[in-house]
Amino acid sequence: MVDFFIGLFLASLITALFTTRLYRLLMWYSFNSLTLGILALLIGTELEDNAMLITGVATILIKAVGIPYFLKSFSQKFHFVRQITPEIKVQYAIMLIPAILVFTFYLAEPITNMIANNSNYVAISISSLFLSLLLMMEHKNVAPKIVGFLSMENSLFLLGITATDGMPMLVELGIFFDLLMAIVVINLLFNREEMKNA
Amino acid sequence: MLELLLLPVLVIFGLSFIKSPKTHKPLAFISFLILLPSAQLLRLPKPFHLLGDYLVVDDLNAYVLFVSSIVGIGVALALMTLDKHVKVSKNAYRRFYRFFAIFWVGLIFSILSNHMGIYWIGLELATLSTVYMIKTNHSNAAHKEAWNYMIVGAIAISLILFGIILIYASAKPILGEDAMNFNLLLAHAKEIKSPFLFEIGFAIASVGMFVKMGFFPMNLWLANIERASFYPVAALFSGILESAVIIGFFRFSKIAMEVNYNHLFTFVFIYTILTIFIVSFLIFRTKDFMRLFSLSGVEHMALIALFWVSGGTFAALLHFGAHAFLKPALFLSTGVLESNGKYRIAGALKGYKGKKGTLFWFLVSLFLLAVISLPPSPMFFSEIYGFGAMINVAKSGHHLLAMMGAILILLILLSIIFYKFVEVYQSMKYEGEEHSKKVYASELFSLVIFALALIALITPPVMNYLKGIS
Repeated sequence: MVDFFIGLFLASLITALFTTRLYRLLMWYSFNSLTLGILALLIGTELEDNAMLITGVATILIKAVGIPYFLKSFSQKFHFVRQITPEIKVQYAIMLIPAILVFTFYLAEPITNMIANNSNYVAISISSLFLSLLLMMEHKNVAPKIVGFLSMENSLFLLGITATDGMPMLVELGIFFDLLMAIVVINLLFNREEMKNA
Repeated sequence: MLELLLLPVLVIFGLSFIKSPKTHKPLAFISFLILLPSAQLLRLPKPFHLLGDYLVVDDLNAYVLFVSSIVGIGVALALMTLDKHVKVSKNAYRRFYRFFAIFWVGLIFSILSNHMGIYWIGLELATLSTVYMIKTNHSNAAHKEAWNYMIVGAIAISLILFGIILIYASAKPILGEDAMNFNLLLAHAKEIKSPFLFEIGFAIASVGMFVKMGFFPMNLWLANIERASFYPVAALFSGILESAVIIGFFRFSKIAMEVNYNHLFTFVFIYTILTIFIVSFLIFRTKDFMRLFSLSGVEHMALIALFWVSGGTFAALLHFGAHAFLKPALFLSTGVLESNGKYRIAGALKGYKGKKGTLFWFLVSLFLLAVISLPPSPMFFSEIYGFGAMINVAKSGHHLLAMMGAILILLILLSIIFYKFVEVYQSMKYEGEEHSKKVYASELFSLVIFALALIALITPPVMNYLKGIS
């Protein structure tokens, strides 16, 4: 079951890289966060770790529902351009993404060798991190860059739950708080500015 | 004690919501109150547990917090006359203070933390709050750079979190959830079963911190942001935010020294020399004050990191203190020198008349010459001690000749920077036309505070305190 959701997590991120519409991108981010939340719940149940269960629920509520909702309302309030064509052409992206996946599996090998449990998941989290960076790089518009940053945070969360069997509860909650603060700052940055290039 | 530290910050945050044109004046004075608990922390017996094992005060972080609170006062004083030099609305002023308060909360937690997670949360909070401070300047360049800072800053901070997760993963088998605790991790560093995993984590976290400080390959991003934002923001970046970043580097590298010193030294040595090499030539080509001081800040942070990993703790901390006072002082002076958008270097120091004017150009000259390590600047002494520490490391590692060569290259690069600063100073003092210019009492007062703090750094009690930090 965990394998299935890890696969969905990676698949949703790859699909997001090819998306050319903003709302569709937000939907894929929401789905990516949902699979992450479910993964936290599954691994938390397996490890009997209540802290991970709480963060799993928080992930679903904040990242899968709250943040996409706020970003969508920002896009309506500030009239974002909804056509977001990636700078990297599809035919090149199709070659680049598997290359990143293979490269990160090779790169992460010395790290995964040292991690007793879920070593493949660690490699997937690292490749997700690179794919999120690619999402930030392949768009000129600000909105997909924000989604790229949020996806990067999701990849780090996945790394946290797979490589370390969960970070301390305090740290997880702090990261959520900072994420909400980031949304407030993003709102202020958009506020009262011309959105021609956003 | 934590309440006392947070109280002025919370008052500033609350007052920033009051819509009165006179609000910014009391706000500046409330910033002074942060100094009192910071000074008290210096005197308390160490280690002092401020919040269980999460926030622990030791000699190192008490010093960094005290230096930061002095810088905070200087910046708050200069903020009082910001509207005299640049166009800024009352609303933007209040919002600036609101985010200044959030910035302080983040800093207090990251500087005093004994926990990798809390350190990261504090740093992220401080980083996010500065994004809006950049935006206070309603120009297109500032708007672009605020987004730039948000995105590059987010990547840098994510790299730090990535590194922390790997470090935590490497130490969790022996320490459990306490693997986030800096002191415990340091005590059990030699027992870590996967040192390679720790080192990978450390290297990634360090690269994140280096990016935040403008090291190779991101040498210009900070300079562009500081150019686009108002000058107090640049002062806050160089005097306070970078302090929070470098204390993280100090903590992480202390543990890395126990795991494998040679790997740590080689990594930081190559990285910092490469950074100084590129920065020295960028400084040589610079044509405005902000970029000049910003790039010089990158050079000094690289030197601090190099001295620290060479075992020159005293040299690194003295250099850190001097840089934390000198760079904000120079940035705040820039605000006066470039008043109303006049970015000319030639003749910038001419036209300051009367007692205030004379004192202003004297202090600016003093800071400019002190930042290039002319004796008796604290930076002169810190560099002597720092290079001494590097030679000692080379002696124990039997590669003295290579180190001498590296120091020679460093001195050549520093001399390029020295030449540029002297040229800029001469152009400011002896070239260009003379126009009547004005400097305000609060700005002058903040520069006097920085000058006194610099002198205090080379007094025996402060030197002894710094030597006592191991």
